[in-house]
Amino acid sequence: MMMKKTGLAAVVALALGVTACSSGDDKDNGGTAEFNAADASIVNQSAKTGGTLNLALSDDWDSIDPGNTYYAFSWNFARLYGRALTTFKPAAGKDGLTLVPDLAQNLGEVSDGGRTVTYKLKPGIKYEDGTPVTAKDVKYAVARTYARDVLPNGPTYFVDLLDAGTYTGPYKNTDINAFTGIQTPDDTTVVFKLKQPFGDFDFLVSSPQTIPVPQAKDTGAKYQEHPMSTGSYKVDTYEPGKQFVLSKNPNWDSSDPNRKQLVDKIDVKLKVNAEDIDNRLLAGSLDADIAGSGMQAAARSRVLSDPNLKKNSDNTFTGRLWFFVMDEKVAPFDNIECRKAVQYATDKVALQTAYGGPIAGGDVATTMLPPTIVGYQKFDLYATPESKGDVAKAKDALTRCGRPDGFETKILLRADRPNEVAAGEALQQALGKVNIKAEIRSVPAGQYFTRFAGAPEYMKGNQIGIAFHGWQADWPTGYGFLQQLVDGRTIKAQGNTNVQEMNVPEINAMFDKAAASTDAKERETIYGQIDKAAMEHASVVPFLYGKGLLYRNPAMTNVFISYPFGMYDYVGLGKG
Amino acid sequence: MAGFVIRRALGAVLLLVVTSMVTFAIFFVVPRLAGQTVDQLAAQYVGKDPSQAEIEATKVKLGLDQPITVQYGRFVKGIVAGREYSFGPSTEYCPPPCFGYSFKTQRPVWPDLVDRMEVTASLAFGASVLWLLAGVSIGVLSALRKGSFFDRAAMITALAGVSLPIFFTGLLSLALFLPTGVSYVSITDDPLAWAKNLLLPWITLAFLYAALYARLTRAGMLETMGEDYIRTARAKGLPERIVVTRHALRATLTPILTVFGLDIGLLLGGAVLTESTFSLPGIGRYAIDAINNNDLPQVLGVTMLAAFFIVVANLIVDLLYAVADPRVRLS
Amino acid sequence: MTSPLDVPETATQAQPEAVLAGAGRAIEGRSLGQIAWLRLRRDRVALAGGVVIVVLILAAIAAPLLTRITGGSPTDFHQDLVDPTFSKPKGEGTFAGFSWEHPLGVEPRSGRDVFSRILYGAQISLLIGFLATLVSVAIGTLMGIVAGYFGGWVDTLISRLMDAFLAFPLLLFALALAGVIPDRAFGLSGNTLRIAVLVFIIGFFNWPYIGRIIRGQTLSLREREFVDAARSLGARGRWVMFKEMLPNLAAPILVYSTLMIPANILFEAALSFLGVGIRPPTPSWGKMLADAVPFYSVAPMYLVVPGLAIFVTVMAFNLLGDGLRDALDPRAR
Repeated sequence: MMMKKTGLAAVVALALGVTACSSGDDKDNGGTAEFNAADASIVNQSAKTGGTLNLALSDDWDSIDPGNTYYAFSWNFARLYGRALTTFKPAAGKDGLTLVPDLAQNLGEVSDGGRTVTYKLKPGIKYEDGTPVTAKDVKYAVARTYARDVLPNGPTYFVDLLDAGTYTGPYKNTDINAFTGIQTPDDTTVVFKLKQPFGDFDFLVSSPQTIPVPQAKDTGAKYQEHPMSTGSYKVDTYEPGKQFVLSKNPNWDSSDPNRKQLVDKIDVKLKVNAEDIDNRLLAGSLDADIAGSGMQAAARSRVLSDPNLKKNSDNTFTGRLWFFVMDEKVAPFDNIECRKAVQYATDKVALQTAYGGPIAGGDVATTMLPPTIVGYQKFDLYATPESKGDVAKAKDALTRCGRPDGFETKILLRADRPNEVAAGEALQQALGKVNIKAEIRSVPAGQYFTRFAGAPEYMKGNQIGIAFHGWQADWPTGYGFLQQLVDGRTIKAQGNTNVQEMNVPEINAMFDKAAASTDAKERETIYGQIDKAAMEHASVVPFLYGKGLLYRNPAMTNVFISYPFGMYDYVGLGKG
Repeated sequence: MAGFVIRRALGAVLLLVVTSMVTFAIFFVVPRLAGQTVDQLAAQYVGKDPSQAEIEATKVKLGLDQPITVQYGRFVKGIVAGREYSFGPSTEYCPPPCFGYSFKTQRPVWPDLVDRMEVTASLAFGASVLWLLAGVSIGVLSALRKGSFFDRAAMITALAGVSLPIFFTGLLSLALFLPTGVSYVSITDDPLAWAKNLLLPWITLAFLYAALYARLTRAGMLETMGEDYIRTARAKGLPERIVVTRHALRATLTPILTVFGLDIGLLLGGAVLTESTFSLPGIGRYAIDAINNNDLPQVLGVTMLAAFFIVVANLIVDLLYAVADPRVRLS
Repeated sequence: MTSPLDVPETATQAQPEAVLAGAGRAIEGRSLGQIAWLRLRRDRVALAGGVVIVVLILAAIAAPLLTRITGGSPTDFHQDLVDPTFSKPKGEGTFAGFSWEHPLGVEPRSGRDVFSRILYGAQISLLIGFLATLVSVAIGTLMGIVAGYFGGWVDTLISRLMDAFLAFPLLLFALALAGVIPDRAFGLSGNTLRIAVLVFIIGFFNWPYIGRIIRGQTLSLREREFVDAARSLGARGRWVMFKEMLPNLAAPILVYSTLMIPANILFEAALSFLGVGIRPPTPSWGKMLADAVPFYSVAPMYLVVPGLAIFVTVMAFNLLGDGLRDALDPRAR
């Protein structure tokens, strides 16, 4: 990571133990356009108003309904038209990982041994039509996410955590009082009732699922046609697959410290070719790629080889980890030494090159937690020379495993992801050097977790030893990142993300300890310990901390990378 | 004549019914045979981390809990009479032709198809103008100058044209002329940008078909030119120009137009490869996405639409033939 | 008519009747093969096509041998030859990555030898092209003869079936079917199963094209004297169809088989291009083209080489097929 010393951000970053690569520049003030400038500073700070912010998306949106969306860019963007109870501090660098109250006046007040969390709403907040926001609307917003047959896309943390019995959402039974997971003693107080304590709860309520929804306006799956705004912008038109236009919300509470209202209009073009997005970015007719997934090969080489373009780009962590896992229930990976053999045999540089290289792929990873997550500590338990693999150590491990002549296994990956296929082939090569013969089995991405990698029965039935995996945290803490991956109690018959079937009581206990802890510093330490313990178990091989090359139109103001989302922060942007 | 038309139209409808059944069978039965359970299918549309109860609810919502006959019945009813769909608090009527709501995006399939039809139709019609003009004129010239250098060069080029996969010529032309890619602009928004963006796909697609049509036209012309009535026309002392245009070309063009009708029918159902190569958001891309996502309503909608165009094109060609050639009616 | 691929079905486009008319006449002292050969020998373009095909087949068979001489295995990585930042072969210019060890350059990302991948890809393309044609011809000939010989409701049924097949958006069906293949079936697994399924899909969906031609030809053969003679001597349906008629269908079958092979090679390439072909790391030309898409501006040769491989192969078959048709049909000269 390239750190620019910009006051607080850099200090916090260092305190959190971020590894800083030399950036070759030592200017003290952020704010000017330079390569990676938006990674640690706010570029082009300005209060100038007017203009249109032009964004584009190459893919399709899952839904713009705050209660029914699960893309990182969508969570970032939803904050423009909705205020959740909390949000991330609008700041560059690690400072941006700090939670601040948004719709609420305060962070959660925890009582009842952590099983009750209370938020007081700020007074005077209104919807775009002028009706005031009440605590009931927040309750309703969360309640409707229980109707997963109607709103299937979002995460299920509230469903899993809140003490709401077998509640199935407000559509079958419209009486909102039937939902016991949240209580609203008055119009400004929201009280969450939890089954068990949950340390990161403030992070949970930063998700767009707590953006208030007035029950009278809810049209279920069709609510996305016009979600009621509480943010600085409101939805003018949303045409799926085509265009999404927002304009200033006249009833936005301008004392809001987390948002700005600079441009007159935000115009998002949907389903635009990735190459075309790059092209329009460089031509200046687009301001940013909303998905923040990085430029394509052609534009990448253009930008990196032209200093005038390069200074408008940022090579940032996307928050994603690319790794593969060994199923501990499939022989011979039930033996930790055989897993270690793979750890040592893996040539991570080969995988990196196959996956797109250092700029488009990412940095070689040695831990499960990426550097932009709270709790990250740098360590490498299976260090090999230049991360290129160590045949001798791998063979030793194989001998200890009782398979000195190697063995045969299968690598599972997603056929429609060229990077993943290339990485799989690179792994196959590396394993071949220590006589581990791996056959590649590629399956459709759409069913990867419902039917293949996420179905332990399939893994065992087909003797799939190795599977590729990619992960991004739902919120940027060790818990948010790791729990679904290594907590043994999350293993399930389908949709399983603990693909390696790691079930270690000590690790599971550490998650409980972190959840029960009210001390943020203590939680952070535990996350690091979990990371280490999971790596010691040797069934997860992280190889890349995902990165992408983002391009910002030089005309954009107040640009910085939001660490929680791994892309530009959308709520404060303006045009110069 | 009326009887013939009715018989043919009924045949076309029957063909569509059979197509719909086969499509249904392929997309419902084959995945089951390949080991996918209904639960796994439903789980794809519940989002992350679904519980069994949520999967059951989703199965009910998508109608996957019903036997295949009931599902097929509902599908047909939707197309013919429309259907009611539940959206949580409200129920919505989806008017015919209703292909249902996408499992994945929860949007109605039909408006999406109509939307993308514009792209595919633009591609198909624009390219067809080019290839008809180029293909037929080259074919005629080649036939008239059989054995000449022009003929040989044209025929070798034509053979090369039919031997080049469109995804290769398309990518190559992109790399050479338009490395930034093609982005579709609606003709109603900006006709100039529309044409500018589609030019490369048109030329690429037209090259392939022009090659084909040049070969067809040349062969047809050569055959007609050898017919007795052409000899008669010449013997009558008609100028060669008249012989060629009035007699030979007319006879040659009839079968060409038949082929043309069918080709247009096929292309309207989605130029899968061309659209993939140029990333055009047409019916063909839609079909690929639908198949990759296992999105059954989308897949059914797009296959039915494609089959519809083919069948209708066949029907029209048959009828035109019957009008042009009375002998056809006897059979 | 044309296939639903945007790829032309050369086999059926080229006036079938001409060939059929010629086939029956070619029985005067010389065998069909002799006559064909005599005429083909004078058609240098077609001969060149034939030579290219023979060379391709030999090269595909000798792929392990040939690659040992040059760059080695088609799956070995040479990432030292790849620029990691831009994922393209190291070096400047269009031919970056070309060398004596790697005469056609190396793949972006992995640095695998393109030359050996092309050779091994030829195995897949030719194998699937031939076998799928065999399937189509077998089904098509059988159905065509039966329909043409029996006529009546049998003919109506088979003809309608062929119409129905031609009305299906076949590429979509092929994609859907190829996408749901299980990992193990019919005692096969891995790429063996994959090849079998591709052969089946391509072959099965294309039979009506040849079926129609054979049906038409059978219809006219049925009225000929030698068939009547056989019948009057008490020969039964099966005998007449397969002992009397089939030999007389050899010419159109040969011609259209030759013209179907390139169409099937294109079909396989299209399926691979769309991502439902052979599995990695086994090379296939269509897949190589698909892999080249993200890199076409930075590593253009990686796009050009497999594209040309497909082109040359398909063109060679088309040239030979055209020549064969001309040779077997005096009228088309």
